[in-house]
Amino acid sequence: MSAGTLPPDEQRLAVGASIQDTRGDKIAMACIYTALGLFCLAILYPLVYVLSASVSNTRKVSAGEVWLWPVGFTLDAYRAIFDYKAIVSSFGNSVYYAVAGALVATVLTLLAAYPLSRKGLPGKGLIMGAFVFTMMFNGGLIPTYLVVDQLGLLNTRWAIILPTAMAVWNVIITRTYFMVTIPEELVEAGKVDGCSDFSFFWRVVLPLSKPIIAVNLLFYAVGQWNSFFNALIYLTNEHLFPLQVVLRQILIQSKVDPSQMQDTSKLLQMQELQQQLKYSLIVIGMIPPLLVYPFVQKHFVKGAMVGSLKG
Amino acid sequence: MPNDDARPGVSRRSLIAGALGLTAATAGGGLLSGCSGKSNAGAAAAGAGEAAPSVTLGPKLATVQYPEGYVGPVARTLKPLTTEKVTFKIVVKQDVTIGDWKTNAFTKWLEQKTGVHIEWSQIGGTDDDVMTKVNAMIAAGDIPDAFLGIGFTRSQLFLYGAQGLFTDVGQHIDAYALNLQGAMKDYPETRKLIQAPDKKIYSFPGINDCFHCRAIDGRGWLNVDWIKQVGLAMPKTTDEFREVLRAFKKADLAGNGKTIPFAGYNEAPIDPFFMNAFLYDPGEPWLVVKDGKVDVAFDKDEWREGLKYVNGLYKEGLISRDVFTADGDQLKRYGNAPGKPLIGGARSNYWGNFLDIDQKDPNARWRQYEACPPLKGPNGVQYAAWDYLTVGVEVAHLVITKKCAKPDLLVQWADAQYELEAILRGYGGPKFAWAKKGDLGINGKQAVYGFDATWNSQKNLNWGQDNPMYRSQDFRLGERVLPGDLTFEKPLYEQTKERFFPLKQPQEMQFPPVTLDQDQAAQEAELKTNLKGEVNQSFAKFLTGQLDPNDDGAWNDYKDRVSKIGVKPYLELQQAAYETYNG
Repeated sequence: MSAGTLPPDEQRLAVGASIQDTRGDKIAMACIYTALGLFCLAILYPLVYVLSASVSNTRKVSAGEVWLWPVGFTLDAYRAIFDYKAIVSSFGNSVYYAVAGALVATVLTLLAAYPLSRKGLPGKGLIMGAFVFTMMFNGGLIPTYLVVDQLGLLNTRWAIILPTAMAVWNVIITRTYFMVTIPEELVEAGKVDGCSDFSFFWRVVLPLSKPIIAVNLLFYAVGQWNSFFNALIYLTNEHLFPLQVVLRQILIQSKVDPSQMQDTSKLLQMQELQQQLKYSLIVIGMIPPLLVYPFVQKHFVKGAMVGSLKG
Repeated sequence: MPNDDARPGVSRRSLIAGALGLTAATAGGGLLSGCSGKSNAGAAAAGAGEAAPSVTLGPKLATVQYPEGYVGPVARTLKPLTTEKVTFKIVVKQDVTIGDWKTNAFTKWLEQKTGVHIEWSQIGGTDDDVMTKVNAMIAAGDIPDAFLGIGFTRSQLFLYGAQGLFTDVGQHIDAYALNLQGAMKDYPETRKLIQAPDKKIYSFPGINDCFHCRAIDGRGWLNVDWIKQVGLAMPKTTDEFREVLRAFKKADLAGNGKTIPFAGYNEAPIDPFFMNAFLYDPGEPWLVVKDGKVDVAFDKDEWREGLKYVNGLYKEGLISRDVFTADGDQLKRYGNAPGKPLIGGARSNYWGNFLDIDQKDPNARWRQYEACPPLKGPNGVQYAAWDYLTVGVEVAHLVITKKCAKPDLLVQWADAQYELEAILRGYGGPKFAWAKKGDLGINGKQAVYGFDATWNSQKNLNWGQDNPMYRSQDFRLGERVLPGDLTFEKPLYEQTKERFFPLKQPQEMQFPPVTLDQDQAAQEAELKTNLKGEVNQSFAKFLTGQLDPNDDGAWNDYKDRVSKIGVKPYLELQQAAYETYNG
């Protein structure tokens, strides 16, 4: 078959896009690349800047001499972090909460989502309704606080892991995934072979669900990593604080009010601390998510599509 | 006393102090017998039928030097307060420099001295975060024995106090807090400043008489090297100030047309710096008292004259373009610019806000800048907006709750923190030394104590400055300055004393820190937020010329807007609170 007899679209596919792009296509591609390039820069630049600033001399940073590459390379800012036990221990706590929280939450989500994805579950609508209800309404701060208190969770690690463990939004995504990828026929085939619901879930559903498990783990882990409010409200032991709470105290608590001026030495100390640690803290705050993303990212497309069909 | 002039009304104060001391002693005794009948701790003293306090202070430490006429905390031996093991649960803020409260050096020292053990609960995050958590605790009934260093406002103290949640410590202070009683004699305004409208005292104060802080809002800085280079002198009037800025701009001392004659930033309001040459402007919320009547400054014709002046400066390019938008980092970039500074001056509380302070380098750049004295306006107005009342005595440094089973003991524990050595360890840490005879302090008189210069890089040694404490002016200025030391405290004190103190407005003009009840507080908060927004926005617009202060229409529109927001109800509210305060 010669190229000339094919319809235009296939013709182009057949000979390869690189040879015969029309001028319009080229312009369009150029625009797309420029736009994406700018977008990429807008995201990359702050990252690079923070990284550079964190390994630069603090005086050069505050004099505005650092704008892309490090000036006066030094690792002092990272060394200083180790002087503050609270920062080191809170980093460890954050990792703990992210890992433990993600595991607990993912298990709960899978266990809730799978039954809800099956047709035969009695009262399915009611359960789903109850779940969705909590997305829109909740008891508020004080009642929740009282519940956590009465359960004896206050000031324990469980207060961070349990109260908001399962996110309904993730249950919906996961349920949709199961509905689409595990057809009813597969369940029936399993039943014919004498497979119970539990062993079906264990032997068939889980092995087929790696993408959605990965997505759940990542969502929950990042959520835990970034959250501070529960820790703020439920914890009063410094040794249990996650990184974000400590970061807020150091980085956001920067307003200069006259009462702080009563002790200029203390103020100066706080300013220097902030100047020195600002960027290195941001870096250690973002490294763990950055490390995990590349490994999980490939599952994202497969896993997190709500309601659209997948091939 | 040689430096009486530098201390607002202290001679009068010490006179009154003597008289008050007598009355306080008798009144205190009377209250004590009433109190000890109820409480189990004071039983011993009640027996003899005399009105002597059941507690006494330890002997004075002989090694400590005090300057002549010293008014302030005194070093004494702290006595154990209890022999049995007592534990109190206290809520505090987390702070990385304080570190773990349990292992903190001051915690250990205080426990060893007093015998009182504290179980700490730490709350993390920003001040707002802390208040969220505290409110949740209170609402849920999860209440500790005390809150230390939690920033309750006067209105909040009154609200929770009136509900019976916070303990009225007034009687306990009269009975047990001898150090604090002494401090309240030195600073007779204290009781008025810490008591709620129901005459009860719901918290322990932090007394910190910071001299330079009293002139903080009107302070700006000018580069004296530059002034010399352009052949002028430190300006004294608004016209001279403009001349200096013009000369800076013309000489372009930063080079390449980069000179910014005068800069500001979004964390330090700029209006008090300029407006006090036209009328008394204490800064937000611009409340002033005239013959017992509360009024605002921002709708007066003099305010408009001030607007015309700053607008003129801005039009000539003498004030930085980003005076309202630059943040602290941006201002520091101007001040720290490599080679030469870009700014001829700046409105900021102290040097550290616009450049890095190097205390060791005698040629450090910050030393080129000096405080610009209050300027004299065209009508001869010239005020240093002096803060007599809100600086110096802070409430809520320790709040005892109804959960506390032994408030008398906790009061004594708090009172121990008003003792000189405890104060030094409390905010500075263990690395202090008593001054030797002949060592000189910040004010040039005999010093009382000194710190190892590096103390402020240490961690886990002190409690910051949120606990009860008493740092009088003589105490603060009694910090040793070694001849080789180049700290900024001394120039800050001297420049404030020479340039601002003599021009302070009469104390009667300042609106005091009043306490509002719950409904008033809600109404006041709303009005204040709206007024602040409007006044600040319009000030920025007038300054930058978006609104023309020379145009009668624009000015009248502005006056309409603020009056519609509710200047009148706002003033009525404040007037009532003011009368209660004085009442």
